[in-house]
Amino acid sequence: MAPSTSTTVVNGFTLLPVSHPSSSTHYIYARQHVAPKKAEASTSKKADLPAGRTLFLVNVPPDATERELVLLFKPCGTVEKAILDFDVQESQEDDDSDSEDEKEAEEDAMEEDAAPSSKRRKVVKEEVPKVVPTIRKTGLTAYVIFLDASSLERVASLASKTRQWPVSSEEPSGLAHYSTVYKNLRPPLDSIQEHVDTYMELFEYKLAKSKQKSKYKKGEAVVDEDGFTLVTRGGAYGKTLGGGVAVATKRFQRSGETSARVRTKKDKGEKEGFYAFQRAEKQRSELINLKRKWEEDKAKVEKLKQSRKFKPY
Amino acid sequence: MALNLKRKRAGDLESRKNPKLDEVMDVNSENEEHGENESAHEDSEDSGSEGEEWNGLGKDVEMQDARNVDPSSSKSKNPAPTGEEVRAIRDATDLYRSSSFKLQIDALLPNVRPKLSRAPPLEKFLLKLHTFLMQLPAVEPQHPLEAARKLLKKGVAVPYCLPLPIEDTNWKVSFEKPEDITLVGSWPNKVSVKAKDGLKYGVDVAVQMPDGLFQEKDYLNARFFQKKAFYLATLANSIRNSKSGLNVDVSYESTAGDPRLTKLVLTPKADGSATDFTKLNARVCIIPTISTSSPISLHRLSPSHANIRVNSGEEGVHHPSPLYNNALLTSYSPKLHLLAMYNHIQSIPAYADALTLLRIWANQRGFGEGSKLSVKGFENAGNLWPALLELVISGEEPSSSGAVNRKPLGKGLSSYQLFKAALSCLAKHDFIKNPALVKSTATHKFPASEYQEHCSATLVDSSSLVNAFAYVPLGCIDMIRHEAWKTLQTLYSSSLAIDPFTDVFLHDHRDVATRFDIVFQVDLSKAKARKLSPHESLDFGSATNHLLYNMNAILRKALGDRIHAVVFLQPSSTSDVPSTRPLTQAYPSTSSTIFVGLVLNPTHAFNLVHLGPAADSEDTAALAEFQELWGSKSEMRRFKDGRIAESVVWDVKTADERSHVPAMVVRHILQWHFGLSEEHVQTWQSAYDSVIRLPKEIATKYVRGAGSAMGFKGAMQAFDRLVKQVKALEGQIPLSLVNISATSESLRYTSAFNPVPLTQSLAASLPPNARYLQPINIVFEFEQSAKWPDELKAIQKIKLAFFEGIATGLMNSVPGTKASVVLGSGDITDANELMDKAYLEIVTPEGWAFHARIWHNREATLLDRILDDHGPMPHVVVPKKRKQAERKGKEYLDAQEAKEVYDRRFIHAPRHHRAVAALSHQYPAFSGTCRLVKRWFASHWFLGGHVSEEVVELLCAQIFVLDGKYVGSDADIPENTLSVVPSTKERGFAMIMRFLSEWKWEEGGLYVCLYGPKKEGEGEGETGAKKVEPKASSGGVWTVATEVDKDGKVWTKGGPDGIVARRVRALAGATWSYLQTIENGTFNVQGMFIHPTQDYDFVIQLNPFVLPRYVHNIAANEGLLGKGKFANARAKDQDQDIVLPGFDPAKSLFTDLQRTYSDTFRLFADPYGGDAFGAVWDPTLKEPRPFRVLGGFSSVPVKKESEKAKDKGLVALNDAGVLGEIERLGSGLIKAVVKQR
Repeated sequence: MAPSTSTTVVNGFTLLPVSHPSSSTHYIYARQHVAPKKAEASTSKKADLPAGRTLFLVNVPPDATERELVLLFKPCGTVEKAILDFDVQESQEDDDSDSEDEKEAEEDAMEEDAAPSSKRRKVVKEEVPKVVPTIRKTGLTAYVIFLDASSLERVASLASKTRQWPVSSEEPSGLAHYSTVYKNLRPPLDSIQEHVDTYMELFEYKLAKSKQKSKYKKGEAVVDEDGFTLVTRGGAYGKTLGGGVAVATKRFQRSGETSARVRTKKDKGEKEGFYAFQRAEKQRSELINLKRKWEEDKAKVEKLKQSRKFKPY
Repeated sequence: MALNLKRKRAGDLESRKNPKLDEVMDVNSENEEHGENESAHEDSEDSGSEGEEWNGLGKDVEMQDARNVDPSSSKSKNPAPTGEEVRAIRDATDLYRSSSFKLQIDALLPNVRPKLSRAPPLEKFLLKLHTFLMQLPAVEPQHPLEAARKLLKKGVAVPYCLPLPIEDTNWKVSFEKPEDITLVGSWPNKVSVKAKDGLKYGVDVAVQMPDGLFQEKDYLNARFFQKKAFYLATLANSIRNSKSGLNVDVSYESTAGDPRLTKLVLTPKADGSATDFTKLNARVCIIPTISTSSPISLHRLSPSHANIRVNSGEEGVHHPSPLYNNALLTSYSPKLHLLAMYNHIQSIPAYADALTLLRIWANQRGFGEGSKLSVKGFENAGNLWPALLELVISGEEPSSSGAVNRKPLGKGLSSYQLFKAALSCLAKHDFIKNPALVKSTATHKFPASEYQEHCSATLVDSSSLVNAFAYVPLGCIDMIRHEAWKTLQTLYSSSLAIDPFTDVFLHDHRDVATRFDIVFQVDLSKAKARKLSPHESLDFGSATNHLLYNMNAILRKALGDRIHAVVFLQPSSTSDVPSTRPLTQAYPSTSSTIFVGLVLNPTHAFNLVHLGPAADSEDTAALAEFQELWGSKSEMRRFKDGRIAESVVWDVKTADERSHVPAMVVRHILQWHFGLSEEHVQTWQSAYDSVIRLPKEIATKYVRGAGSAMGFKGAMQAFDRLVKQVKALEGQIPLSLVNISATSESLRYTSAFNPVPLTQSLAASLPPNARYLQPINIVFEFEQSAKWPDELKAIQKIKLAFFEGIATGLMNSVPGTKASVVLGSGDITDANELMDKAYLEIVTPEGWAFHARIWHNREATLLDRILDDHGPMPHVVVPKKRKQAERKGKEYLDAQEAKEVYDRRFIHAPRHHRAVAALSHQYPAFSGTCRLVKRWFASHWFLGGHVSEEVVELLCAQIFVLDGKYVGSDADIPENTLSVVPSTKERGFAMIMRFLSEWKWEEGGLYVCLYGPKKEGEGEGETGAKKVEPKASSGGVWTVATEVDKDGKVWTKGGPDGIVARRVRALAGATWSYLQTIENGTFNVQGMFIHPTQDYDFVIQLNPFVLPRYVHNIAANEGLLGKGKFANARAKDQDQDIVLPGFDPAKSLFTDLQRTYSDTFRLFADPYGGDAFGAVWDPTLKEPRPFRVLGGFSSVPVKKESEKAKDKGLVALNDAGVLGEIERLGSGLIKAVVKQR
């Protein structure tokens, strides 16, 4: 199974064999990160994944940490950052190998993050109780960003022989890991209190801010640049968010139907079974139905018979 | 045109004349034609050529008609059916349960009838036999013993019966050629039904002994039977003789083990001659009979006559001998029965089919012959079924007392209607209390009262005087009644998961495990009746029969209303103890083991006190009888209400033991009356109990540490206390608590192990691998308030604040309580910020642990907004493109996951909990069944990881709620209904195993009426669910729907998937067949819970010392539960905190591995202290495949096959690497990873 130790390239990926003490060889696939072609995606990502000096990794060990990755690639040059959970949700997406690093939702989230005052956010971060890093799904991807573009070229040289996986002793594994998780999940009560208080403070602040930013204000008509007035449905007591024009119900907006009571079609004009031929026709169709059912049953039983189902013993 | 019409009508008329039987017969003959018989088909065509011709003409005419009206009829694809067809269809739907039921019956019947194409050799043989017998030379009258000695020299024992002839008897035995030889029984009437287990068809030949051999007084002291025995032995001797040219094996067989009813059995030697009927799988039975013109007068044979006049203790008093008389009358009956049956077949078109159906039904339930356990007393009940049908058709003889009698039914009923009527007669008529005499044209010779006085159960047909129930023990009659009732319920109910036809006719219901609540294996070799009546023994003809009959009667009396039936079971013919015996053996051999099955009546079965007559009662006879019945167990007791009465009290120490009370009764009775000690009476109940119990040593420690506040009761009390304590915090938390609902199996009696508390001090005395504390899940519900933030992430944070408040409050108000807020489960799901994940962990001072969550119903609305097509504000229309993006976005996926968890945790779980808890109260065996089945699923490594606990509860509930009629009703459930549901967990377990091994989940889901009966119109929903094709990889394939969960996926979403579900079926099948070995005595309960591990690709072995749950392991090694050196080391550094509720690293590792390698291998483990995981690789990963970035598995490049080969960039699974990783991830937990394949 083991491949030759000479540099192997699979689909443009350089093969990096690594091994843990006392366990067998694991293979990481590495390639230079290529920025996605789509223009709009690149605008936001540029800062995160600089094109020239980012290494794209596939099949990172499930228990790898950022620190361990940094240590692993140290010989190639100084590592600025290692990103592991960049696109967890990517796996759900269609696996086009070229577009693995664009994510609109992610993008939105990031924008949002940038919005509130960074000072307040820092406060909250400190309070979040720390939980030991967990184990990821196997075969996932990661990014390693070097400080210098030249480091990328040196990565290929790593492939020549199996390297030891740098184990950072801080992270417990196995039984110790689970014990620590168990303990860390149960922080002291006062720290929880503090955490909640700060979080809510921030939440209120954000809420207030977004209210200020919002286009919708009570009692004010919203007029867009073309001069159209936004018309919305009134509240419970006739107070409207925007313009004061009455509009259809929520139900109408959802379904396009005005009311639940759809008018039933009244008498079709003729009564059923008024003419003799109608009755005869009805009778006939009933009989045909009867026969059809009978034939169906027959066919079913015949099929069961084929499977020797009727041998009781 | 008018002419045509006329002709057509004529054709219709013609067909109308044909009774509908013809159609049935047509179908039958068609089937035969399909199946096997070509020559017979030709025959029938020849014989019916006249009719054919006429029909052909009619067809021609019709075809012309059709041509005339061609243009109109060709339009529709399905032309209207002809009148004939309509009639056939209408008949099928009206006279049967449904039209497909009729078709199924038609398909079934030919399969149980003998193949007539193989009959000719038999006919030739019978002819030869007839000529041979008619030429036999007479034998001079001689002394019976002398005659016997002569025959014995030739190797034939004469089966003389008791009382045996002695030297100074003054009558003689002789032989003359038979007066008449007739083919009797069901063979000549063509209503033979295939026997179970490949036993042979019986072809009965009645050989009528000449009247001249008998004298008037021969009815006395078995003289008739001795003469018959000699006649039979002489016949046997001559047939066996090679000069006869018959070339058959001859052996004796005694009906019902009674030597008086011995007959000759001839089986062909397979020599390929013209008379060799081996292929027919039949045997010829020679039954000596006597004509009614014989000198023996019939009126001497009434049940009240005493015909055995041996010297008993009291001089001059002779006891009636009803069974002896019955046996003698049997010698008159064969010919009469033949004629009666022939008449019925001629006059009632559906008679033959109904009789066949009835016998199939009986055979499937062990009321017949078979090499598996069959009900005692019905082995040779060939006469019973015609008699029963006759009773249904002709009605009952009016009794002198003028009681309401059974009215005769019409003769035009269909076979199905007759069958059902016969069953309902069996179910409703009490043959024990009211003897049934079929109405006959001539009045019955003996009045019903005589039967009632001297026979126990009576059914006498119209043609003869024989009681068809004579040999059947009373408990077995209870059983057939019970079975008939059960079958009727199946036929009446419409909402069963299984097809009623399959259940009634095609399923084998003989297994003891699902049929009886308690099964005993009794070794009779040491049995000795306490009181022996020599006369009765003579009346019975054989001592064994007498013993069994008595034993059954005493047990039935002692168990009283605890049971519906006490049944004796024995195979009628096995390879060890065949029903036939060689000619050298005069008496039938009997097997020394018998199985006793109890069908319990749960309302009374587990009563601890059995009240007898009051001390001051006048009836001293009743008092004496009671004391006699119970022996040393009977004692005078004074009860709380002041009564003083003779009574029997059973001591019970634990709740589990209460279900053993019926078994205790049986053991005591067998000991007291028959001297059978413990080792001769075997049950399996305790073995089942031990499966769901902690090891003894640990259990005693718990009892010492926690006292009586253990088990479900203790958990309930702890929960109630906690509710009070939390409610008392009113004012300390901002919102008041509306409701606290439980969602834990520990509070609904269904956790596999009895819940136990664990205090710090108790934990210190236990080894570390027995210190698991199962937390109990509960849900807080606060009053509605507008103060909650309207955002999901904030809601989760506010919950933390509530928990913190409650925790502080509880710790202040209740000293000794420990409470902490837990932030999540510690795995990847914690990254989902929308999901409810924090909970409050409370450990009460008594050592009970609770996990409380908060239910806030606004969450559902908020989540729905994300999941809905609309954005957060309904009036803002989201552009379509963005919508799609959001569908895949993190928020959408998170919300989806969160909603699922929300629904399950807060909507379904509390509701499920309430329903299941109610069920546990309603049915005493439900909880035990759930616990056993859970244990089974766990020990076969399914529970938790693949099969959720709730779905196991639903599966178990399904056999209890039936059609849901009694769900949630306070009214008492009829005892009859209760008898269908299991009353002990052992039976429940067996029923579930059977269900699992047969459940075709691919074809349709299960609907459990847990919340009441199925409503009309819901059937469509079910069929809708059926159509959903399970995808290969995604989620569970089981559909278990309830009223509140129409899709049936709430509890099966996470599995089992197709592969696992098939494995469940296979393992259940193996368990089910293992359950069958109860019959051969090799059965061992533990064996069903030992998991075979050789099928796994690799097995991860864990270190049992570090598993807190190891104590729950099914085969926990007691040695490993001691305090090892490792344990000491651990105890030192964790001195202050050794009670860790819910801490189970094996489970965490399992979940982590399962998630990490979900696309690489499938992992299995026992959540109850399993010390190994098993895994199976995804087989496709071993094949080299092109490299993909998101392959989702750890791969290794495959070497090129040769230098020339183009490098395709193929990769394959890096299995060694993965195994190494696993070992690393579980370091400290994993002992070794063993690669098996």
